[in-house]
Amino acid sequence: MLKVLLKKQIAEVFRSYFYDAKKNRMRSKGAIAAWIIFFVVVMVGVLGGMFTALSLSLCGALAQAGMGWLFFVLMGLIAIVLGAFGSVFNTYSGLYLAKDNDLLLSMPIPVKTVIASRLINVYLMGAMYSSTALLPAVIVYWITGGLSAAKVICGLLFMLMVTVIVLLLSCILGWVVAKISLKLKNKSFITVLISLVFIGAYYFFYFKASDFVRDIIQNAETYGNRIKGAAYGLYLFGRMGDGSWAAAGICTAVTAVVSLLVWRVLSRSFLKIATSNGAAEKRRYVEKQAKERSVFGAMLAKEFWRFTASANYMLNCGLGILLLPVSGVFLLIKGRVICEAIGDVFSSRPDAAAVLLCTLFCLMACMNDMAAPSVSLEGKSIWIPQSLPVEPKTVLRAKTAVQLILTEIPMLFAAVCAVIALPGSAGLKVMFVITTLVAAAFMAMFDITIGLAMPILNWTNETAPIKQSGAVTLALLGGWGIVVIPGILYLLIGWRLGAVTYLIVWSAIMAVISLLLLRRLDTKGAAAFRML
Amino acid sequence: MLIIEHLTKTYGEKKAVDDLSLHIRPGEIFGFIGHNGAGKSTTLKSAVGILQFDEGQITICGKNIREEPVACKKDLAYIPDNPDMYEFMSGIKYLNFVADVFGIPSSARQEKIRRYADIFELTGDLAQPISAYSHGMKQKLALISAWIHDPKLIVMDEPFVGLDPKASHLLKEMMREHCDRGGAIFFSTHVLEVAEKLCDKVAIIKQGRLIREGTMEEVKGDDSLEEVFLELEAE
Repeated sequence: MLKVLLKKQIAEVFRSYFYDAKKNRMRSKGAIAAWIIFFVVVMVGVLGGMFTALSLSLCGALAQAGMGWLFFVLMGLIAIVLGAFGSVFNTYSGLYLAKDNDLLLSMPIPVKTVIASRLINVYLMGAMYSSTALLPAVIVYWITGGLSAAKVICGLLFMLMVTVIVLLLSCILGWVVAKISLKLKNKSFITVLISLVFIGAYYFFYFKASDFVRDIIQNAETYGNRIKGAAYGLYLFGRMGDGSWAAAGICTAVTAVVSLLVWRVLSRSFLKIATSNGAAEKRRYVEKQAKERSVFGAMLAKEFWRFTASANYMLNCGLGILLLPVSGVFLLIKGRVICEAIGDVFSSRPDAAAVLLCTLFCLMACMNDMAAPSVSLEGKSIWIPQSLPVEPKTVLRAKTAVQLILTEIPMLFAAVCAVIALPGSAGLKVMFVITTLVAAAFMAMFDITIGLAMPILNWTNETAPIKQSGAVTLALLGGWGIVVIPGILYLLIGWRLGAVTYLIVWSAIMAVISLLLLRRLDTKGAAAFRML
Repeated sequence: MLIIEHLTKTYGEKKAVDDLSLHIRPGEIFGFIGHNGAGKSTTLKSAVGILQFDEGQITICGKNIREEPVACKKDLAYIPDNPDMYEFMSGIKYLNFVADVFGIPSSARQEKIRRYADIFELTGDLAQPISAYSHGMKQKLALISAWIHDPKLIVMDEPFVGLDPKASHLLKEMMREHCDRGGAIFFSTHVLEVAEKLCDKVAIIKQGRLIREGTMEEVKGDDSLEEVFLELEAE
C-alpha cells in the first residue's frame, strides 16, 4: 500500500515532466527527456556547481589542518538549511492540507501509512535539495583527503543522517506551522512575515558567505576548539563525515531516537490537524452594505484575495514586492559607491551602472510571477469564471493586473530611489524609470502567457501549481534569461549607442512585445481559457 | 428559453452526446435522467458554455451560446454536481463577488442574500471561509448565488445531492416559484421520485442519445418513472 501511495505522491510532484496537461496526454519521449535534462542542469549544473566550488575552497585547507570534521559541519549545516528551508511549507501543505486526505482516510489504509507516504515524499524532496550540497562536499573530501573504508561508509552515513535531519526539521517546523495555522486569524500574513525573517537571515548569511569562509579557514583552530567546547554534538556530527565510527554510532542513535519521537508526535496529531476545517473560531456575520464593483473590479478583488490567502503563494511568487523596495533603499544608502565600483570595472562602457542596475531590478521583478500559476490555481473551481457572464479576456486581464500592480508600485519606488542615487543625465534617469516599469509590464504579460500555455487544473495540493509547475519554473528562469540579455548586450555592443538610446530601444522592444502578448491574450488566450 | 439542436460532443473516440435535441420553454421544470456516464453533465455543461461541443446549436433566450456566450450567461445560472467554490473566500464574499459580476445593486443584493440565506439557514455562517463549509453548505451557497441574480434559466447538475431533507423541500418550492414567475429550470437527477413529482417535462438519455422525451404523463403513462426508466435502460 505504501508503495502505491508513494508512487501517487511522486507522480504528482513530477507530473508535469511526463504529462502535458494542455493536450491531456503523456508527453513524447523527447519532451520528457528535454524536461529531465533541464531539471538535471538546474540541480546539478547550477546548484551542484555552486556547492562544488564552495567545497573546493573550504576542503583543502581544512583537511590539511586535520579539521575535516569542521568542513563536514559547515557543509552539513548548509545542506540542512537548503533542504529544510524549502520543505517546511511542503510538509505543511503536503501532509496536512492535501485535498485527498479525506479520501485516503476514508479508505482502508492505516493512518500511519498515509503519513509515511507523505513523509517519504517530503524526505525525497528534501534529500534532493540537500544532496546538491552534500554530494559535492563528500566527493570533494574523498578526492582531497583520500579514500578509506571508514571514510566512505561514514561519509555515506553522514549523507543519510543529514537527509534524515532535514526531514525531521521539516516535520517539526511543518507541525509548528500547522499548529499556528489552526489558531491564527491572519495566518497567511504572519506566516509570510516569519518566513521573510528566515529569508532575510538566509540572504544575510549568503552574502556574508565569502567573508565567513575566509574567516573560518584563517581561524579554523579557534573555531574548532570553540565548537568542541560549546557544541560537542556538532563536533561529533562533523567527525561522522570524517570517518569516526564512534561519532557515527552516537549520531545515528540520537537521530533514531529523535525520529521516533517526531513520528509519535506526528502520528498522534495528524488526524486532528488534517481533519480540522481550518476555522480558528467561528466568525460572526454582521450584515453591512457591500461595496459594488465592476466585473473587472470583482475579478481583480478575487485574484487579490487568492494571492493574500496563501502564504505559499505569496512567498513563492511575490518576493519581488519586498526585494524591490529594499534594493531601492539600499541604493539610496550605498548607490554612489556601487555605481563607482561598476564604473571602475566597466570603465570603457559609459553609464554601465545604470544599465546593469536596470537589469538587476528586472531580475528582481521576475521574482513576482503570481500571474504564472494563477490559471492553474483556478483548479476545480474553473467552472465559476467559465459559467459566469465574464469575458475570458477580463479574467486573464485581472490575473495579469494583480502582478502589474504588485510589481509596478514597488518597482516605481525602487526606480525613483535608484535615480536619486545614480549619477547621469536627466534623460538617463527618466529612461531608467521607464525601462524598469515597461520590463515589469512585459514580465506580467510573459507570465500569464506561460501560465495559460501550461495549466494544471487537477492538483490536490496547491504546492503543485505554485512551486512545482513547469509554468512557474519557466516564468522565473525564462524571465531571468530574457531580462539579463539586454544587460549583457549593452556591455558587448549596446554601449556604442549610448545608455539613453539603448534604454529607449530596449523599452520600445519590450513595449511592443508586451502589446503583442496582450493582443494574443485577448484573442487566442481567451479562446484557450474557454477550452480549459 | 433553451433550445438544444443536434448537439454532439466527442471525447477522443467516444461520443458522449450524440445528436441530442431538447427544447425547454419558459415556466417548465425539465428533468434530465440517465445512468452514470450517459452524457447528462456533458449536455448541461455544453448548454451553459463551459464545454465546447463539436456539432449542433444551443440558444438561450434566442441567443447563440457560441456567438454570444456572455449575453447568454447573463440570463442563466449554473450549479455543477460538485460545487467546488473559491475556498479562500467567505460565503458572503463569494455572494458579493457573484452579485458584482451580474451587476446587482448593493441594496437589492443585500435583500436577496438575507432572504435566501435565511431560507437555507446559512446566515450565521456567511462570514465563515468556504473551506470550513460542509458539502451541503456549499450546495446551499451555490443555490443562493444562482438565485440572487434572478436568472431566466437555471441549469443544475444533481442539485439535491448533499442537501438535508428540509433544504431539499425548500429547493423544490423555489424551483416551482421560479417557473411560476416565467423562468425555466433544466436539471439532472438520479432521484426519480423527485423528478416524477416535480418535473413538467422529462428527457431520458442513454449512451449520449435521447431515448425518450415529453411531458411527465407522456413519458411514464400509467407506470412510475422508475419503471419506465429501468425498462428503457434494459432495452
